[in-house]
Amino acid sequence: MELISFFEWMETSALGQIGKTYGGVYALGQSLHLMSLALLGGTVLVTDLRLLNVLLRDVPSEVVVESTHKWFKVAVSLMIATGIFMAAAVALRMYYNAFFWAKMTALATGIAFVFFVKYPLLQRKHDSINPVVLKSLAVASILLWFSVAATGRWIGFS
Amino acid sequence: MLNEILLHFAEWLDAQAWSSGLHESYYMYNWIESTHVLTLMIFLGMLFVIDLRMLGLTMTNVPASKVAARLNIPMMIGFTIMVVTGLLLYYAVPVRTTQSIWFRVKFFLLIAAGINAWLFHRRMNESVATWDNEPVAPKRLRYAAGLSLALWAGVVTTGRLIAYDWYDCYRVNSDLIAWAAGCMAE
Repeated sequence: MELISFFEWMETSALGQIGKTYGGVYALGQSLHLMSLALLGGTVLVTDLRLLNVLLRDVPSEVVVESTHKWFKVAVSLMIATGIFMAAAVALRMYYNAFFWAKMTALATGIAFVFFVKYPLLQRKHDSINPVVLKSLAVASILLWFSVAATGRWIGFS
Repeated sequence: MLNEILLHFAEWLDAQAWSSGLHESYYMYNWIESTHVLTLMIFLGMLFVIDLRMLGLTMTNVPASKVAARLNIPMMIGFTIMVVTGLLLYYAVPVRTTQSIWFRVKFFLLIAAGINAWLFHRRMNESVATWDNEPVAPKRLRYAAGLSLALWAGVVTTGRLIAYDWYDCYRVNSDLIAWAAGCMAE
C-alpha cells in the first residue's frame, strides 16, 4: 500500500470525519496537544537542566530523571494520540506539508533518542558517566524536543 | 461605555504603522506566535511539575518548597517571554482580538490564575515548615494546585480558540455573545 493511500484512508475514517465536522472537538484536541507539549517541555527541561547543573543542583540527578520520566511518557502518549486526531482531519494536507514530515522525523528521532539512548544510559549511576557525555545528552535532548515543537508550530503557517 | 473605550484604544493601535506592519510580516508575526507557543514548554511545563509535586504525583522525595523555589526562576522567565510575545500578538491584531469572546475569557482566566498563584504561594510559605518533606501537600494547597492546572488548561484552550471566528462580531450572534464579545453596532 502506498503511503498516500493511508493518508486518504485516514481523512475518510471516523476519526478524520469527527475532526472535520466538529470544530469544537478539533479545537479541544488542539489545546490538549498544546498542554501535553507543555508537560513534555517541563519534564524534558527539568531533567536536562539538572543534567547541565543549572536547576535543582542539590537534588540527585538520578531522582530527577526517575521522577520526570513517568510524566514524560504520559505527555508523549497524549501528544501522539491528539496529534493523530488532528492530523486525521487534514491528512492529505499533511501529506504534502514539508513541516509535517520534518516534525515526524524530529519526533521519531526524539522518541528513539529517549528510549534507546538517554534513558538506558541514565539508568547507570550518574557519577560513573563522563560529565561531557551527560551534558551532551542534555543539550541534544533540548535541541531535539525544541525542534519537535518548532516544526509542529510551523505546520500551521505553511 | 467600557467596550467603547476598549474599541477606540484598539482602533488607535490598529492605525499605527507598526501594528499593521507586524501583522503583515509573514516571518515576524509567525516567529512571535511560535515563541509565544514554545514558551508554554518553559512556563507551563515548570508549573505542571510544581503542581504535580504538590499533588504528590512527582518528586515526592524532594521537599516541596525546594521544587517550587528552584523551578520558579525558569517559570518566571517563560512567563515574561509569554507576556511580551502575547502583547505583541495583541498589538498586531488589536481590533479583532479586543472583540474576541475567547480573548476576554482568557483574560479573566489569567487574572484568576494570578490570584490563585498569589494565594497559593502565601499559604505555602505560611505552612511549609510543617509538611515540606511530606509526599503530598495539605488539602488546601492540593486544591489550589488542582485549580491552577484547571485555570491554565482554560487559558491554553481559550488562547487556542481565539484563532476561530465562530463568534466574531461580523457574524450573527445571540445578544449574550455579542454583549460578552463587546460587539458595537456599526
